[in-house]
Amino acid sequence: MIEAEKVSVSFGAKRILHDVDFQARPGEVTAIVGPNGSGKTTFLKALSGDLKATGAIRLNGRDLRDLKPWQAASLRAVLPQATSLSFPFTVREIVRLGLTGGRSGALAGEAERLPERALARVDLDGFAGRFYQELSGGEQQRVQLARVLCQVWAPVLDGEPRWLFLDEPVSSLDIKHQLVIMKIARDFAGRGGGVVAIMHDLNLTAMFSDRVSVMCKGRVAASGTPAGVFTDDLIHRVFECRLKVGVPPAGDTPFVLPQSAF
Amino acid sequence: MEALLRMMGAQRDAGPVPEGDRSVRARAAMGILAAALVVAALFSLTTGASDASAWDVVVGWFSPDDSALSARDRIIVYDIRLPRVVLGILIGAALAVSGAVMQGLFRNPLADPGLVGVSAGAGLGAIVIIVLGSTVLGPVMALLGIYALPLAAFGGGLATTLILYRVATRHGRTSIATMLLAGIALGAMAGAFSGVLVYIADDRQLRDLTFWGLGSLAGATWSKIAAAGPIILLALFAAPFMARSLNAMALGEATAHHLGIPVQRFKNIAIVSVAAATGASVAVSGGIGFVGIVVPHLLRLLIGPDHRYLLPASALLGASLLLLADAVSRTIVAPAELPIGIVTAAVGAPFFLWILLRLRGILDL
Repeated sequence: MIEAEKVSVSFGAKRILHDVDFQARPGEVTAIVGPNGSGKTTFLKALSGDLKATGAIRLNGRDLRDLKPWQAASLRAVLPQATSLSFPFTVREIVRLGLTGGRSGALAGEAERLPERALARVDLDGFAGRFYQELSGGEQQRVQLARVLCQVWAPVLDGEPRWLFLDEPVSSLDIKHQLVIMKIARDFAGRGGGVVAIMHDLNLTAMFSDRVSVMCKGRVAASGTPAGVFTDDLIHRVFECRLKVGVPPAGDTPFVLPQSAF
Repeated sequence: MEALLRMMGAQRDAGPVPEGDRSVRARAAMGILAAALVVAALFSLTTGASDASAWDVVVGWFSPDDSALSARDRIIVYDIRLPRVVLGILIGAALAVSGAVMQGLFRNPLADPGLVGVSAGAGLGAIVIIVLGSTVLGPVMALLGIYALPLAAFGGGLATTLILYRVATRHGRTSIATMLLAGIALGAMAGAFSGVLVYIADDRQLRDLTFWGLGSLAGATWSKIAAAGPIILLALFAAPFMARSLNAMALGEATAHHLGIPVQRFKNIAIVSVAAATGASVAVSGGIGFVGIVVPHLLRLLIGPDHRYLLPASALLGASLLLLADAVSRTIVAPAELPIGIVTAAVGAPFFLWILLRLRGILDL
């Protein structure tokens, strides 16, 4: 369980987050959506312990401030939006860095080949020997996800759920890999772990998440199930855009929804 | 060749090496580098004006009556060349490892204590002791003895590194341009203060300063080793404990934190150890440039950037290359000798330009 109460973050005199309340349950995918600059990434950074925040954040009942870096690392793994590298690592070497904390929770038999297994899950079989810097943005993003998966390979360890924090995990991916990655998140939750993901695509969000928190101007505008939250009125209020929920385009304009995949 | 490399790194399981895993190659390379260092040390021990051969030295170790070496050769080998070889190994390892650690800390293959003013800051600390040690700072000298010089250089290096890190790094990101430019400014400042001290130095101090400033292993003695050795060894032994953190840091400070690294504590240790290794080296051998940038760069091409292997391999190759450069500096204009700093700069500077050309497309310079 992740519980955040009245979390506020300021950069200098500018207040970025105002009293954000947030909950995420293990076994669920919890999405955070909202316009650019609404504070989604800042909030995820506060959850990850990267930023000083006021208010309370509890990870599985423990105050985030009381957790040592390695304790936090065994409870949650974080996928940033983009990661640049300063040295020429191979893909396998990057993925292996997920094992830095040594608490992957992998069974003895699968530990040795964990980087390969993680790469196969993100559909990058055979990429282990390539240089990270030579990959496309979308491929790099999937390599990072493989690294993150290595860190918390077992969704539950010592009876405790573990967490994936994903900052726009599918933003630079083609539709096939958007579905691959979202299914990984679903599967992680299905096996007892918890997922908190910042999303932009409302259709993917509706399809894959159990709960949604909508952020706007540093506050939570709404939270609940996708069906309860995604209303014409809320979307207009938050995204300043007159959209209609569940209305197909008029005439014969084609449209393709991820929900049509199976 | 591949088979040989595998054989040498053979303590792994029998299965094939996974693609993209360079650890077997890295271990094999470390074996080869260790052997190369032994050869370089033996070569250095037996090269010079006297003609005591490597064979005579080795035989000398095993023959009880020491008949293989003449008394004169014994003195040359053990009292003159051996301290020089030991010092060369220490300094070479210190320069290469502190280069590699600094590059990892700044997430930047161009960071090197010599390039960004840390050596200049350490040099200022040393010059203060050389010029003022016999007068104003007499009490300090009396208190610290032979450690005054390396400690002062360490202090100068530490101050420079801290300022550099403060200026060049914001929110966990280091700007390459800011780092290099701040390095120029810090180097110029240290140079200005050093200049003042040189101006008030007497003739004997001036000779010391000039020779020392060019970088040299000449005049290596056991007492110099006793002064700088412990500090350098401490920094070298700290290096393996930083490897994991340096690897995680390659992904950025935030991600290193997510992976469980206590980032702030690691940075403190890294900065202190770089300053210690650089300061102690500068104190006894002046500014020997380019080892810290050339050695780690070559090794990254060969075995990859994994610091678990890069740091020990840098120590081994740095030591070997410095011994080689020293042998050249002793023999190229024999019976006189060239300061080793001239040799490393003559070879290292063009090499550095080559690195720049290679990195030009990758880094935003």
